[in-house]
Amino acid sequence: MKRLLALLFVAALAVLLLFLVTKMPSLGDPDNPARQGMATQYLERSPEDTGAQDAVTAVNVNYRGYDTMGKVGIIYCALMGVLAVLGREKRGRIQARLDGARVAPSKIVEVMVRFVIPFIILFSAYVIIHAEISPGGGFQGGAIIGASMIIFTTIFGLQEASRRMPQGLRVPLEGSAIMTFFVLGVLGIAGGGTFLTYAWPRVSTSIQPALANWLSVIVEMAIGIGVGFALISILFAMMREEEDLEPVA
Amino acid sequence: MEPALNTILIVLLVTTAILATLSRDLLAGVIIFSVYGLIMSLMWLRLQAPDLALAEAAMGAGVTTVFFLVTVFKTRGRDQS
Repeated sequence: MKRLLALLFVAALAVLLLFLVTKMPSLGDPDNPARQGMATQYLERSPEDTGAQDAVTAVNVNYRGYDTMGKVGIIYCALMGVLAVLGREKRGRIQARLDGARVAPSKIVEVMVRFVIPFIILFSAYVIIHAEISPGGGFQGGAIIGASMIIFTTIFGLQEASRRMPQGLRVPLEGSAIMTFFVLGVLGIAGGGTFLTYAWPRVSTSIQPALANWLSVIVEMAIGIGVGFALISILFAMMREEEDLEPVA
Repeated sequence: MEPALNTILIVLLVTTAILATLSRDLLAGVIIFSVYGLIMSLMWLRLQAPDLALAEAAMGAGVTTVFFLVTVFKTRGRDQS
């Protein structure tokens, strides 16, 4: 009986949703709501307003500065939540059961990972720095940095990875994103503009475009590094289990 | 060509979504879920949202898979129900 009711409910919901799908504007239709109102304004005005050719980047780090700062804050809060539950390792003491008793990964995998990781990091730097003119940005680039370090950790083990990325390096870099964002945003207000305007009215107009360009690149780089290291620290907190193991030197 | 590609992607997306929830072996479920993330990122690309496609490929197919894998290895690895 209960199952029958559930089935009926799901069927009714499916019919309703399918009915609504037929009412949706078709893909690429010039009259659909996504191409009316605000969106056209952003698309037309963002190159001259912000100097960024890519409209998504322009919206993220120029028009909606407060939103993006909140977004950076969310990732930092996620890290804090994981650390509040699982705890951070004591300085220099980290190990996992997988490290000690692991089947040695095949030489081919090790060599490939060693070979590929520099290129992944190069690609993430490209994604971050080219955010102004092509798809991508701090969040995507940061996720790619984090992914490359996570590959390293899964292949070479937690101890080796934390030797390369010690706690003293990770802790300040995790918080760098939101700090840099906040400081630059407030500097925008101090310069006579609004939050995170790179067009400071009190700066002479001759260096204005270069300044705006550099500041937005710095913001993107800080976001990327912050997101990447937050992901790595989450992985370390999940993998570590030194309380259950015998201490090693 | 283009509608056929869309249809194939959508069918694969729904299939992997259903298989990921149905599989008893959690390891298989995680791997199928990462395939779902990869197909989803291709869908974002088809919908002309390359920013989301990049984020989905790195996050959905890469990072969350490893997080889930670590969780599966540190727990039982079987669905109890």
